[in-house]
Amino acid sequence: MGSAKARILLLALAGALAAPAVPLPAAPLAAPVASYEISCRLDPEKKTVEGTELLTWTNTTSRPAPTLQFHLYLNAFLNTRTTFHREAGGIARGVPIPDSWGSVEVLRMTFADGTDLLPALVSISPDDGNPDDRTVAEVTLPRPVAPGETVRVSLDFRSRLPRVFRRTGWKGDFFMVAQWFPKIGVLQEAGWNCHQFHANSEFFSDFGDYDVSIDVPSRYRGKVGATGKRVEERQGAGDRVLYRFRQESVHDFAWTADPDYVVVKDFFREAGLADVELLLYVQPEHASQAARHFRAVKAALSRMGRVLGPYPYPTLTMVDPPWGASAAGGMEYPTLITCGTHVIAPATLQKPEEVTIHEFGHQFFYGMIASNEFEEPYLDEGFNSYMTDRVLKATYGPDHPVVNVFGYRIALGIDKIYPVDAERRFFDVSTQDIHAQPSWKFRDGKSYGADTYSHTALALATLENLLGVNVMDRALRLYADRWRFRHPTLNDFIRCVNEVAGRDWTWFFDRTFRSSGNVDYAVEKATSTRAKAPKGLFERDGKLVDGPPPALARVRGYDSMALVTRRGETALPVDVLLRFEGGKTYRSSWNGEGRWKRFRVSGGPRLLEAIVDPDEKLALDEDHTNNGKRVVPDPRAASRWTARSVFWMQNFLDTLTVAW
Amino acid sequence: MSPVRSSGALACFGRGLRASLSKPYLAVSLWLIQLLLASVLILPVSNSLHDLLDDSPSASRMVANPDLGWWETLLRTHPDLLGNFPDLLTGLLTPEGVTSSKLSGLRGIGAAAVSLGLLAIVLHAFALGGIFGTLREPHGSLVTFGREGMRRFPAFLAFTLAALAAALLAYRWVWLETGLALNERMRELQSERQALAITLARVLLLAFVLSAIKLVADSVRAIWVARPDLPPVSRFFAGIAGALARPVRLFGVLLSAIVTILTLYAIWIVADPSAGGEARFALVPLILTQQVFVFLRSLIKVGYYAGISEALTRTPSPEYSYVAAPSSAAPVAPPAPDDEPPLENPAGAV
Ligand SMILES: [Zn+2]
Repeated sequence: MGSAKARILLLALAGALAAPAVPLPAAPLAAPVASYEISCRLDPEKKTVEGTELLTWTNTTSRPAPTLQFHLYLNAFLNTRTTFHREAGGIARGVPIPDSWGSVEVLRMTFADGTDLLPALVSISPDDGNPDDRTVAEVTLPRPVAPGETVRVSLDFRSRLPRVFRRTGWKGDFFMVAQWFPKIGVLQEAGWNCHQFHANSEFFSDFGDYDVSIDVPSRYRGKVGATGKRVEERQGAGDRVLYRFRQESVHDFAWTADPDYVVVKDFFREAGLADVELLLYVQPEHASQAARHFRAVKAALSRMGRVLGPYPYPTLTMVDPPWGASAAGGMEYPTLITCGTHVIAPATLQKPEEVTIHEFGHQFFYGMIASNEFEEPYLDEGFNSYMTDRVLKATYGPDHPVVNVFGYRIALGIDKIYPVDAERRFFDVSTQDIHAQPSWKFRDGKSYGADTYSHTALALATLENLLGVNVMDRALRLYADRWRFRHPTLNDFIRCVNEVAGRDWTWFFDRTFRSSGNVDYAVEKATSTRAKAPKGLFERDGKLVDGPPPALARVRGYDSMALVTRRGETALPVDVLLRFEGGKTYRSSWNGEGRWKRFRVSGGPRLLEAIVDPDEKLALDEDHTNNGKRVVPDPRAASRWTARSVFWMQNFLDTLTVAW
Repeated sequence: MSPVRSSGALACFGRGLRASLSKPYLAVSLWLIQLLLASVLILPVSNSLHDLLDDSPSASRMVANPDLGWWETLLRTHPDLLGNFPDLLTGLLTPEGVTSSKLSGLRGIGAAAVSLGLLAIVLHAFALGGIFGTLREPHGSLVTFGREGMRRFPAFLAFTLAALAAALLAYRWVWLETGLALNERMRELQSERQALAITLARVLLLAFVLSAIKLVADSVRAIWVARPDLPPVSRFFAGIAGALARPVRLFGVLLSAIVTILTLYAIWIVADPSAGGEARFALVPLILTQQVFVFLRSLIKVGYYAGISEALTRTPSPEYSYVAAPSSAAPVAPPAPDDEPPLENPAGAV
């Protein structure tokens, strides 16, 4: 162990001693629907996890359940004919998928009374009918499970992990064990909701209590992190060590092991929020960035907690996957998140900050507010992206030094305007897909990411600007409180907005979430000319005479005009600001629904500029550069940037020609 | 023979700089060539920028500082303006690198910039003929530069194209192909530090190979001019032999030139004349400062070539009738006036 490592551990130990004891919640947070007791054993050489699972499941619907459906997620990596492989087309997260296979086999399945269920277990493909996909299995029961009845199913399984390329697997001695055990689907009034493993989908499950024992070789001693709180460490048979973790009121369980981990502890405490023990399993080469992880996650615990309610679990585990296993990073599991950073991590890259805050945010949008990630991926990824941007904006402001290199500003810190700069990728594909739809129905991965994450974040930021942040926060809080430990849909959020706002905002969601339109408002023209006296025949004393009456003939000031147009498909209300000489302004608004609207001011001072959406409320507006027009052009910027461009070109040519 | 002179790299570069300063018209001509080439872009760039910015309220914000949002929006809404030119510049040292297929993504000003780059390389072959030729003359002038440049142009263009081809091959085989071959193995390394070390080693190797190609080419050019007494093939091989005989000294000269240029850039960045827009420098002084900077860069560049020449050869070529030639060429030398003192070192260099 290096001295640096030892120092970090000592510091961590000191932190842990100083921290007060963590009170465990007295009662479960949610009524359990699907609870698991699992004992498993890792074979690091064969890359397998074998286990025994006892599932306690309750039928919470009003109808009997003649079958049970299970996710066998690891079978997505069985061969190249699975639905995952077909959809991914050989690429996962931009990296070619290696020839490494994964599987989960059910070796035994019985009821608690010993009734053998295995012969009745068959693979089904409810989403696409792919006969080669084995990620969902259904068992027909000897007798249906009655409404309200609880059954216990016992099974043995063997999971083979792939070289990590999609969230789960191994690299060398590192293991990220996720989506690894046979897991029951969600029974709804309409039947089983149990989707196959798709290239772009995440997951959906019921809440329950998890009690998991993990048996690993002793070289992993102290280097096993998991969902929940560690309640036991015991010497196993032979050269092995056994860990037991428990967590109530969660809907998944993941764990990780790596002999190289440096384990750092910290503690979060803030008035009005619950205490949380923070654990960071970090790679030795990133250990110097531990403080950055903790600062980011504490900012998220605090700022998200104050809007959405306290994070209720006693622990939060952060995992930093090793080099070459970044596909395991940037993922969320209940009370455990995987982050990711680089050895060289300048603040501008926002690593590890952004990923840590984002993955923590999933403890709300996914973890507790457990929407269906298959069918409505924007409810977790998109809402979470919106909250991530808010935390980043509030925590890492523009307060950092900037170096000017040949006229190009290089910021030595996070230098983005949130959320627009962070979510710009949406504008590349803004009319390509319906923004809100099931995750596997997008045209491609880029479209899925841009719509699900970025469009939602921009749409919610727009909504926040239109409603005001107070109304927005109250709507979010109502949604979070009402749907904690439940499965909400977009309609449930809309209802919360309407309740809090006291008005029907469904139209906003129809135009943004449920459309494929883009938003772009522009000022097409702005003019200001000296007012002219009217000419022609005018009635005076009952007769038509040439020339206006004296009152009309006395004209002063300017006639000004601004033409505002809607270039995007989607109409949203906008403000228009006219700025005049002498500092006067005129503000008006437009419902944004026609293709254009003209604004005129007669006889006032000279118009300087016209701006549509002057407060930049429409974060969805995909081109802010056309949002204004000056009446008198200002050539300074263009001249300077021309000079700089020519200078850069000279330097480019000089560098190019020096080479040969 | 000049035993008092140091033949170290720094000394060669120093003498080269002095030669460059004594013949500033060489740097002036380099600067002019580049200014003329770059000025082709003035109109398209200026017109586009004025069109985009002049009546935009963001213009006043952007006098001194760029606006990330404006730039990204521009790239998205006007793909016709630059195409993938920014990607090409920033993508050179990425694992994927830049391949010729990416050139088809160039548009408008971006495509023009790359074409100008190719034109600049060709014109540089001409300029190098002029520089090496003029450097060997005690009384050169801009006319000498032009004449020598034209005279050497066919051979020097061939050297330039050969060096360019060698450099492209080196980029492909030292960077792109090794990158592809190592890609998977890099991911299996124990730590990112190891991967970074390998990448750094590859960058250094690429820099070394490219430098070696450049030094061989420059050596061939210098000897080509210095030894007109040899037949072309022998001159060419004498050039390569010259580079192989004094690799350390040549690398030293190149390194000195690079360090000097980087110092110049560091001064520019610290002094920061383009910052603050209105506040520090108005438009005309800004342009003047920029051009002085480019001229200084050209001075150093000429100094580098003179330094290479110094490092390889020290006798002026015997071909010029009006040069005090070595003693072997005494019969064709012009008769010296009676009152002229005898040359202290008739065989010495300029
Ligand atoms: Zn996410």
